[in-house]
Amino acid sequence: MTKRQGRLFFIICTLVSAIAFIGLTFDSHRRFPGLTNEDKLTPEIIRGKDVWHNSNCINCHTLLGEGGYYAPDLTKVTQQRGTPYLTAFLKDPSQFYSEEKHRRLMPNPKLSDTEISEVIAFLDWVGHIDNQGWPPRPIIVSGTTIPGTDVGQPPTHASVSTDPVAQGEALFRSSPPACNACHSIAPGVNLAGPTLAGLATRATAIVASPEYKGEAKTSADYIRESITHPSVYLVPGAMYSANNQSFMPDNFATDLEPRQIDSLVAYLETLK
Amino acid sequence: MRYRSQSIAYWYFAIAMCLFGLQLVFGLLSASKYLGPDPLLDFLPFDKTKAIHTNLLIVWVLTGFMGATYYVVPEESRSEIYSVKLAYIQLVAWTLMGVTAIVGYMFGWTAGNKMLEQPFPLKIVIVIVMLMFLYNILMTIKRAGRWTVTEGVLVAGLALAAVLYLPALIEYENYTVSIFYRWWTIHLWVEGVWEMIQGGLLAYLLIRLSGADREVMEKWLYVIVGLVFMAGILGTAHHYYWVGVPHYWLPIGGFFSALEPVALLGMAMYAYFAMRRAGFSHPNSLAVHWTIGSTVFTVFGAGLLGFAHTWPSVNKWTHGTLITAMHGHGAFYGAYAMTVLAIISYTLPHLTSDRKVEGNSIGYWAFWMQVMGMFGMTLSFGTAGIGQVYLERILGLGYLDTQLKLQVHFLMLIATASVFAIGAALFIWNFFRTAPKSVAAIDPSASAPDLAPAGHASSAGSG
Ligand code: HEM
Ligand SMILES: [Fe+2]
Repeated sequence: MTKRQGRLFFIICTLVSAIAFIGLTFDSHRRFPGLTNEDKLTPEIIRGKDVWHNSNCINCHTLLGEGGYYAPDLTKVTQQRGTPYLTAFLKDPSQFYSEEKHRRLMPNPKLSDTEISEVIAFLDWVGHIDNQGWPPRPIIVSGTTIPGTDVGQPPTHASVSTDPVAQGEALFRSSPPACNACHSIAPGVNLAGPTLAGLATRATAIVASPEYKGEAKTSADYIRESITHPSVYLVPGAMYSANNQSFMPDNFATDLEPRQIDSLVAYLETLK
Repeated sequence: MRYRSQSIAYWYFAIAMCLFGLQLVFGLLSASKYLGPDPLLDFLPFDKTKAIHTNLLIVWVLTGFMGATYYVVPEESRSEIYSVKLAYIQLVAWTLMGVTAIVGYMFGWTAGNKMLEQPFPLKIVIVIVMLMFLYNILMTIKRAGRWTVTEGVLVAGLALAAVLYLPALIEYENYTVSIFYRWWTIHLWVEGVWEMIQGGLLAYLLIRLSGADREVMEKWLYVIVGLVFMAGILGTAHHYYWVGVPHYWLPIGGFFSALEPVALLGMAMYAYFAMRRAGFSHPNSLAVHWTIGSTVFTVFGAGLLGFAHTWPSVNKWTHGTLITAMHGHGAFYGAYAMTVLAIISYTLPHLTSDRKVEGNSIGYWAFWMQVMGMFGMTLSFGTAGIGQVYLERILGLGYLDTQLKLQVHFLMLIATASVFAIGAALFIWNFFRTAPKSVAAIDPSASAPDLAPAGHASSAGSG
């Protein structure tokens, strides 16, 4: 090979790759609006993106898996935590996590109420981008589902069984709704939501107690109501609610099919 | 050193060394926050120390590249630099920009886009400084009326680096689009045009250190850069996994980025065979260590550790974990930090007085402690990353609880990072140990003991 041939090789490789790359870039631009729901990109969300940048969130957190590796990924966080929870958290993270326990803590980002709702809107928009189904399994902020309980078991696939309990259990671990992002089924392990260990027993006691003001008569009713209308009965604890509103997302009544709710109830009723 | 204006390089290298030292201070601070708890939480939290750490890296490496160019171009084009004054004005503006950025980050003045955190006015300063630099270099070459492939590749790499910074000046409303173009800058820098710069500097060093035939070296330089672009341009797609772009980028990214290590391996073989022919006999064997070392560490840090997570079915699990930090450290250090340290090691006996060409034992301690320290750091990040992928991504343990289980790896990280930092400190101390040669003392007729090019009576002068 001569130097001229070497140069020719360089020029051809570079040109061919660059042209292919630019062609694909044009095509990608055609597809971005659909993939990212650009029609839903409101000015509020764009301001939320500015809040995200101005607060330098990305140098600790990752979003779509990109950023610092020092704090949890936030791609699907709005599907795991409702707006009231996230609002309260962003007002003062130290109320939710302790540096003694986790050895790290998020500094108070000192955002105004508007900025908080904008950045949450932004995160919610990001969470609905079509990103090839990543993450393959939910990334959970905190909490442990202890080995020997449900960690490490392959997820049960609803299709392998027609049993509503099995389907409910699979759904409980799927994302969405990613119930297990906030609820463990191990006794005493409270995550962002209370543990659901012994739920059915507790539910029976709650519906019978004078504090309960809802419509449920049975433990199954109560569980159903907790999923569809989380604020009817509030589990005590500042971690779980504020201003009579539960931190649990309230979108399940609309986002889950009735059949799915039935199977979740069937499964959770087995937690005695 | 034949040309007086080559002494400009000293001051660029001196600034680069200071920023390198500062980078490590912020790196060690960041690592200690992994271990926690953090007494500086309210004043200097992790996001700030990390942004400063990565920005300093980019700034000092670029400073080193520019200094190297001011050293290489006069020799290759056989001419003094067009304007020495402009070169110093450029350095002052560049340094002020860097310092302002760091102080700004401390007080929350940031554009908050990873690695492109520079606020808009500073981005403009960067562009202006790059233009000053390119103008000065191109006028030098134009006035000399002579250029070599080696310097052509080097200067083209720097010019393209400036061009690829331009997409970073635009605000994108759609976050996915902003990610898309962020990688035009970052990826096409480090796996494209910076590798051109690395290749150009490597060719220069190898021709000087081994006396290898220029025609042969430059022929293979073309081939290597061709391979870099063949794989690297479409390889950008390995940053397009899971971020909201069309699905066809997945197989494209997997295939082309898996080819990238071929170019890097090519570079290492290029260096090894050039040196072997000369029998590794150049007196500045410290520079030989850094030169060969950088190509080997590039194969390891960029090639091997990059390959380890570049396939979509693997990246699906490792994306956004400490596995990325493992590779980022190994790659940047091997390819770019070490290249700059190699060129500094080669030029230092020419740029400063009272220094033996052979180097001293501190120089070797600096080399080995850095290499071993960085190797240990990639192991620490790597083992932590594997643990994280397994516990957090596969078993579903919470992020914070997983990080608690990785404490021992963070201890390992701090230990190996300390070894690295001592090596770096030795290098920096060695750099400043003797004074720069005064310009008047530079004797253009004195020729350094470089090896004569094989088969050629004389080539483009020796340093
Ligand atoms: C000198 C060359 C290289 C340098 C300096 C370099 C540097 C980096 C850095 C700093 C990151 C982290 C980016 C971030 O945290 O957002 C990164 C990511 C990555 N690099 Fe490289 N790299 C190089 C070569 C390579 C090569 C040759 C490959 C493949 C064979 C590769 C594969 C990857 C992949 C797949 C990621 C993305 C990880 C993820 O976000 O999931 N890199 N690189
Ligand atoms: Fe890359």
